Amino acid sequence: MAYYNPEAILTDAQKAPCTFELAVPGLAPLNNGSAIEHGTKLDLPLWMAEMLAVSKPAGPSSTSLASLDMPPALGPRVLNALSADPKSVELRAQAQWFYGLGERMLDLFDEEKMVELLIDMFSRQTFKQRALEIADKSQNTRTTQQGGDSGDFMGGLDETERQLFRAAHDGSNAVKRWFESSSRS
Amino acid sequence: MALPLPPGLTPAEVGFLCEMELVTVIPRQRLEGLELLGGPTQPMIPPFATPLPLWLALLLKKQRRANISPPGWLNVEALTHILDFETDERTADVFSPSPRLPQPTSTAPLEEDPYLAHDALELSPPFLKDAATAQAQDDALPYHWLELSHLLLTHAADDFDDPDAVHRLLRDLREVRMSKLRKGFRVLDAGAGVKMNGMGGMEVAEVRGFVGGVVDGLRRINRSREEARKEEEAEQRENGLGSSNYRDDEDDDML
Repeated sequence: MAYYNPEAILTDAQKAPCTFELAVPGLAPLNNGSAIEHGTKLDLPLWMAEMLAVSKPAGPSSTSLASLDMPPALGPRVLNALSADPKSVELRAQAQWFYGLGERMLDLFDEEKMVELLIDMFSRQTFKQRALEIADKSQNTRTTQQGGDSGDFMGGLDETERQLFRAAHDGSNAVKRWFESSSRS
Repeated sequence: MALPLPPGLTPAEVGFLCEMELVTVIPRQRLEGLELLGGPTQPMIPPFATPLPLWLALLLKKQRRANISPPGWLNVEALTHILDFETDERTADVFSPSPRLPQPTSTAPLEEDPYLAHDALELSPPFLKDAATAQAQDDALPYHWLELSHLLLTHAADDFDDPDAVHRLLRDLREVRMSKLRKGFRVLDAGAGVKMNGMGGMEVAEVRGFVGGVVDGLRRINRSREEARKEEEAEQRENGLGSSNYRDDEDDDML
């Protein structure tokens, strides 16, 4: 992950639910000023959640400050919907950088079974099938933009997919532009 | 990161490079040979055909100083033949092959540096000679077929026997090949690729951004698994265990 990459920064700014294992008086501002007790649940940006979950406070207790939970975007409900029909899920409504989030969570979680499941799910079905759909839709942007039967197609794409869409569209557009410009002169 | 252009040639650049291709020109006026950066051109003496770079040929065509005789593959007969190949069910998975490569000029690498020996440079597209001249092979589409045929059809349409039919065939060809390419997207994977033998430069430039994006996305999703695998491998090596199990796993995955 590149330091100057805004995409990486934005991906890390997505929120993930955390459960605090200890009372942390110093972090009260995070919870709108009320004290953080054992068992408090908070949605924290990924970069902070990671630090809290990984770092261990000095002292007798060996648990970390907080434990990181799976964000709802990667929860069983969304995954079931994805396995039913990858194209019908609006990934953007789940997380703006859905694949980035998944990628980060895969880094942080070690449960093999879940990791395998997610990877298979993402790469074999979701990402590929959606990419094919994107390739088709990008050839005909008029319906996508003016809301034909696929009016909110763009609204359901996460940022990575939008970039794909733009790449596919730019490619065919550049060819079209060259054809036009070369027939004029 | 600082470079705003995507990697690889853009379609406009491919189109520009296409104008370097030699085409056969039948001059109407005398013209001495020109000393160009790309090498000297042959002098033009009216009834004799002369190979000229496409950009110069188009310029002379516009000034009505020359006619361009289209390459062998750019006529109704040859294009119908190629289109038949593309639409045949038996060859549904492959693109029509590119022109034959010239005979290799050397068989064994030289004893010194094989890369520096001049006669060891084997040519491959897009550097083939005679891809667009009248001597071009007439049953294969060269690397710059799309760009070249477009330029010739728009600027030298009166040199064709039946420009409309040629135009129609080219459009069919392009659509057939695009749909084949789209079918190829289905097999894209983190480590896999699409077989694109016979693809033209413009077609490659058109889909480069998308294909690159898909492969990169898949690679990033698979990254954590790759890393876990690498760690496992390193661990096994440290422990001095045979890595036969790991190899088996990998082989299974590859299938």
